Amino acid sequence: MFPGTSGGRGARRERGGNMAAPVSVMAASARWGRRFGTAAAPRPWRLFGAMCLLRPPRITQPLEKEEEEMAALMAQIELEKSQYSDHEIRKLQEEEQLRRRKESAYDDEDEAPGKTVIMAQDLEDKWEQKLLQFKAAPRITDADKNNDRMSLNRKLDSNLMLLVKQKIGNQQLWLLPQVEWQPGETLRGTAERAMAMFLGDRIQAKVLGNAPHGIYKYKYPRAIRTEDTVGAKVFFFKAFLQSSDLSQAELKEDHLWVAKDELGDYLKLEYLKKVNRFLLDL
Amino acid sequence: ALVSCHRHYRSRPTHGIGRFKYLLPKEAPKKKKDKVQMKEIDVGTEHEYGDLNIQMTSYDMCLVEHFAQYVHRLCNQLSVRVKESYAMPTKTNEVLFLEERGSKMQLDAVLTTHQRVVQISGLSSTFAPILLEVIQSNQPEGVHLLVKEHTEADFKSRLKSRPELEELLAQMS
Repeated sequence: MFPGTSGGRGARRERGGNMAAPVSVMAASARWGRRFGTAAAPRPWRLFGAMCLLRPPRITQPLEKEEEEMAALMAQIELEKSQYSDHEIRKLQEEEQLRRRKESAYDDEDEAPGKTVIMAQDLEDKWEQKLLQFKAAPRITDADKNNDRMSLNRKLDSNLMLLVKQKIGNQQLWLLPQVEWQPGETLRGTAERAMAMFLGDRIQAKVLGNAPHGIYKYKYPRAIRTEDTVGAKVFFFKAFLQSSDLSQAELKEDHLWVAKDELGDYLKLEYLKKVNRFLLDL
Repeated sequence: ALVSCHRHYRSRPTHGIGRFKYLLPKEAPKKKKDKVQMKEIDVGTEHEYGDLNIQMTSYDMCLVEHFAQYVHRLCNQLSVRVKESYAMPTKTNEVLFLEERGSKMQLDAVLTTHQRVVQISGLSSTFAPILLEVIQSNQPEGVHLLVKEHTEADFKSRLKSRPELEELLAQMS
């Protein structure tokens, strides 16, 4: 199926070149018309809807070296340009009072217990202690270290996509989950059905719009082509996972959560090219 | 001369030379009260969204402002019409920790919540998911993003309530 595509398209073009100019133009326009036609005339393409399920990144990516230097510089400039806040003014005043009291050899001892019970310095110490108690979650999780591609905790700072092994024709291929379109259904509904088929019903995934994000079309090899089916078109939709726990059944098949640069390991070249066109890299 | 006056006096034939304001089209007199709403185009067969509000809230004002600027510039570059870009008044929350153990200590923390709104109109439905995805993936940490359609309630929330007017109205009715 897939290796046959480029061969089929190339052969078609050669034949078009040999024909006379107006005929080839008509053939081209007919092809375009067939591709975009929405009439109910017998269409030789089988339609599939595929869902690209993205898990949005949970953490921001670490800054580059230049960005870090710039951020440090800006912070320093801002610090030098800024003015004292209430807390800092209070702290300075109290330090001055302490100094004055020590120099004047404990003259106003009566004032001391009455005045400030809590000093600004004490507050700061308390806050520092609280900060030390707080522990941030690790950025590189266990799944990263094990390179476990089936878990969702892997690369917390990039998009992860769902890949499923599906049987097409007589081959088992890694694909974005796809399902055939049934008449009377919107393509978005098809994509959602594909997602539901592989991941169960109750997934909190949000599809942003009704328009597909990409299309991949391929022709069947000559052997399987009939009058009705010349090839298939796969329309891609994008959805974002809202919650990252998939406690519902992960039905059958192998599934993988894969980042964009790792897609090349699994997908075929032509398919990969079309998929890469609509994937945003943060 | 100390004061050189280039105006032509009334008795001179050149009086009124250089006047042009009477040639311009008449402007409607500017009323004090603001007009309430623009018309809204909704989806349907139009394939276009009406007025959309992108609301960004956060505790950190610098982040929110920078993000609002970024969204505004992004829409400018993608030729999405930005109608208005305004800020809602900041809300101040005081957080009091009541520690029951020992003496009742109250540790205060003062949190200010800032909100910026960018109002967009004329977003086509084929482009909307792309724009939303770009904004979503560029969200900084700590900033909540909310995209919703503009309603009258949103508009009214910007205006201050006038208690005397309401009292008088209540008395009248």
